[in-house]
Amino acid sequence: MATRNRTAMYRKHRDAVKSVRAPLSSSASGSGGPVIEMASLLSSNRSSYAPLSTEDPGPSSRDAFTVGLPPAWVDDSEEVAVNIQQARVKMTELVKVHAKALMPSFGDGKEDQHMIEALTLEITDILRRSEKRLQKLSASGSAEDSNIRKNVQRSLATDLQNLSMDLRRKQSTYLKRLQQQKEGPDGVDLEMNLSGNKSRLEDDEFNDMSINDYQMRKLKKSEQITGEREREIQQVVQSVNDLAQIMKDLSVLVIDQGTIVDRIDYNIQTVAVSVDEGLKQLQKAERTQKKGGMVMCATVLVIMCFFMLVLLILKEIFFSS
Amino acid sequence: MSLVTAVRDYINRMLQDISGMKVLILDSHTVSTVSVAYSQSELLQKEVFLVELVDSISKSKESMSHLKAVFFLRPTSENIQRLRRQLASPRFGEYHLFFSNLLKDTQIHNLADSDEQEVVQQVQEFYADFVAIDPYHFTLNVPSNHLYILPAVVDPPSLQNFCDRVVDGIAAVFLAFKRRPIIRYQRTSDIAKRIAQETAKLMYQQESGLFDFRRTEVSPLLLVIDRRDDPLTPLLNQWTYQAMVHELIGIQDNKVDLRSTGKFPTDQQEVVLSSEQDSFFKANMYENFGDIGMNIKRLVDEFQQIAKSNQNIQTIEDMAKFVDNYPEYKKMQGNVSKHVTLVTEMSKIVEERKLMLVSQTEQELACNGGQVAAFEAVTNLLNNESISDIDRLRLVMLYALRYEKESPVQLMQLFNKLASRSAKYKPGLVQFLLKQAGVDKRTGDLYGNRDFLNIARNMARGLKGVENVYTQHQPLLFQTMESIIKGRMRDVDYPYVGNHFQQGRPQEVVIFIVGGTTYEESRSVALQNASNSGIRFVLGGSVVLNSKRFLKDLEEAQRIARPSTTVL
Repeated sequence: MATRNRTAMYRKHRDAVKSVRAPLSSSASGSGGPVIEMASLLSSNRSSYAPLSTEDPGPSSRDAFTVGLPPAWVDDSEEVAVNIQQARVKMTELVKVHAKALMPSFGDGKEDQHMIEALTLEITDILRRSEKRLQKLSASGSAEDSNIRKNVQRSLATDLQNLSMDLRRKQSTYLKRLQQQKEGPDGVDLEMNLSGNKSRLEDDEFNDMSINDYQMRKLKKSEQITGEREREIQQVVQSVNDLAQIMKDLSVLVIDQGTIVDRIDYNIQTVAVSVDEGLKQLQKAERTQKKGGMVMCATVLVIMCFFMLVLLILKEIFFSS
Repeated sequence: MSLVTAVRDYINRMLQDISGMKVLILDSHTVSTVSVAYSQSELLQKEVFLVELVDSISKSKESMSHLKAVFFLRPTSENIQRLRRQLASPRFGEYHLFFSNLLKDTQIHNLADSDEQEVVQQVQEFYADFVAIDPYHFTLNVPSNHLYILPAVVDPPSLQNFCDRVVDGIAAVFLAFKRRPIIRYQRTSDIAKRIAQETAKLMYQQESGLFDFRRTEVSPLLLVIDRRDDPLTPLLNQWTYQAMVHELIGIQDNKVDLRSTGKFPTDQQEVVLSSEQDSFFKANMYENFGDIGMNIKRLVDEFQQIAKSNQNIQTIEDMAKFVDNYPEYKKMQGNVSKHVTLVTEMSKIVEERKLMLVSQTEQELACNGGQVAAFEAVTNLLNNESISDIDRLRLVMLYALRYEKESPVQLMQLFNKLASRSAKYKPGLVQFLLKQAGVDKRTGDLYGNRDFLNIARNMARGLKGVENVYTQHQPLLFQTMESIIKGRMRDVDYPYVGNHFQQGRPQEVVIFIVGGTTYEESRSVALQNASNSGIRFVLGGSVVLNSKRFLKDLEEAQRIARPSTTVL
């Protein structure tokens, strides 16, 4: 695709114009004789050269201009962006720990589980905090600023939503694979089996123990297993709830791709329409205020007051002498 | 060589090198160009957090110097004036100016003069000066399209503006593709000749350096033809999805505005029909109405299945899966309701206007012979109370275009009947059409009855029978494309500009129809491109026509032309 850069020509001309402007201003004070004479010739009566200062005001004002401070909410949005970046880094860590935990090992695997839990909690926490901060972003401000703020919100919300969906997906694949490993190729719970074997061993060894004892121990074991299962389920439910909550909040902010709301010209139109509407409402309010009965009443009352005053004065003049 | 990809590449390049928060400022033409190729969410990803029109931006006084402004405008004098005012009191930190076509040196000087604060960082020409509605179909959205019908003496400055806009648009297409074409035009059309010659002057003389690209073996071809050579296609009712929506409701820049046809919930008042973003639409845009109905039913069934399984959440895994798939589900729901709404609306309109009946006669008028039968059919429909005025007008026009020489008496009868039945009919419109696009004015063989080969082909088709009565018609463009593929386009009908000549067959062809294209023709082009003939066609026009728009242009031209004819 062809393009053409006209910046060079533009700059050349701009510099030429600047150099024409500059000597006129700097020589107003100096002793550039011919230039001053020329100036006075050209503008004998006009005082158009009066406000010229001796120094070139260009660079300093330019600097002051371009160093305008952004509004406060930009800091918030930048923080959210940084958090999102952090969350991404932690997610890659999480993926690595998941992979390590899934590999068969001789150890307990408990510390891997801890790390996974800790990381997942951290990431969910970051996401929740960012989401809360994002909600706060829609505070008051000027009209045009609000458009920009809304768009910044939208873009960060999309990123957050994608991240949380990613986290969910990674979690579910990990759990699925973990489940597969535990069950083994027979689809039977190996752990259960092991414990079952153990119980049979115990059976053989301690078959002269009282039946109650044995049954109590078996009961306790199954209670333990159920307790663990329950905890796992609770965790999953908790994380699903958290992320569902985040998704629900964010989906209000995120644009549905491919719909009319995703069209640039539609968004420009709605801004124009709402600004127009606002103007119309203001005008209407102004008109009703002007036409208002209040104004009429007030004027009538004032007129009556003057009338009464005149009557009073007349009464004084005619009847008190 | 896709138009949409070209525009997207331009916009990507505009935004990629500028870091930080940006504002994108467009004018009323470039907003169409950008909106069909780029979505709001993609802009947000590129950190463009505000989009404004250049005319509304001057009203605000707020200074936002932490933002960088990216302007993408057409280089018109009004835009340059607005820019100058902006630069005199800048609101943004940096200004990056991109223009969609060639800048004149004086315009650059004017801008440089106003840039006292030196906020402008770059000035570039990025040639996205057309609206890429489909990968191989573009339009220019020219406002006063009816000017192409009028002779040059009526309003020379407006016609010059029209030609300039068209030449700019065509030049931008070739700059985007980095090609310089051989140019041919339709001999019988003055305006086609003028546009072809002015384009050649621009590409080979005025800006020959800019257009001096690497030469391919065979140069591409630009063919400029006139709408009046095929007045039949815009008048016909359409039965393939995209063309039908435009004919019955109206598509503008890939958006459909349903507010005029009835009451709808807010999120369905305006919908987007873009082949790039909607895969169902992409698969069905050229299918006929019956097949669309079936496909939509299938889509709805699929969706209902998913909806049912979503309600059936019993285990935690189900819940998790639901949360995962929710965005997809919502998107599908929106899509399904959009297509169902459109098809329902169109069915309602077909029912109200008895279009099945009308269209059958139209297709017979367009494709088959039999003057007597045609006259009877048209008379019957004119007498039918439930046919609307515009449909009556179209039928008489179609009859007149085909049988204008065969029996003038019967033609007069039809005119009188039309005038007496239709209150809104402007007398003389049909005669005006015949004067502009009658059999004497046309180059192409519109009805296949001039050339022995075509007559034989028609007879063969008649014997074979047609699959679908309602989609029998093939636009004249199809024959034009065939003759290009076979290398059999006659020089006497379509001469070359200047001393150009083409050896062999071109690989890339851009056909520009002055006066507007139709979606039926873009369908022809797309199907031709899909058939792997080795040649890629791109179609473009000043606007995209449907029958309402075509008739409006005719009426407008007649209104302007009439005073001068009555004086004579």
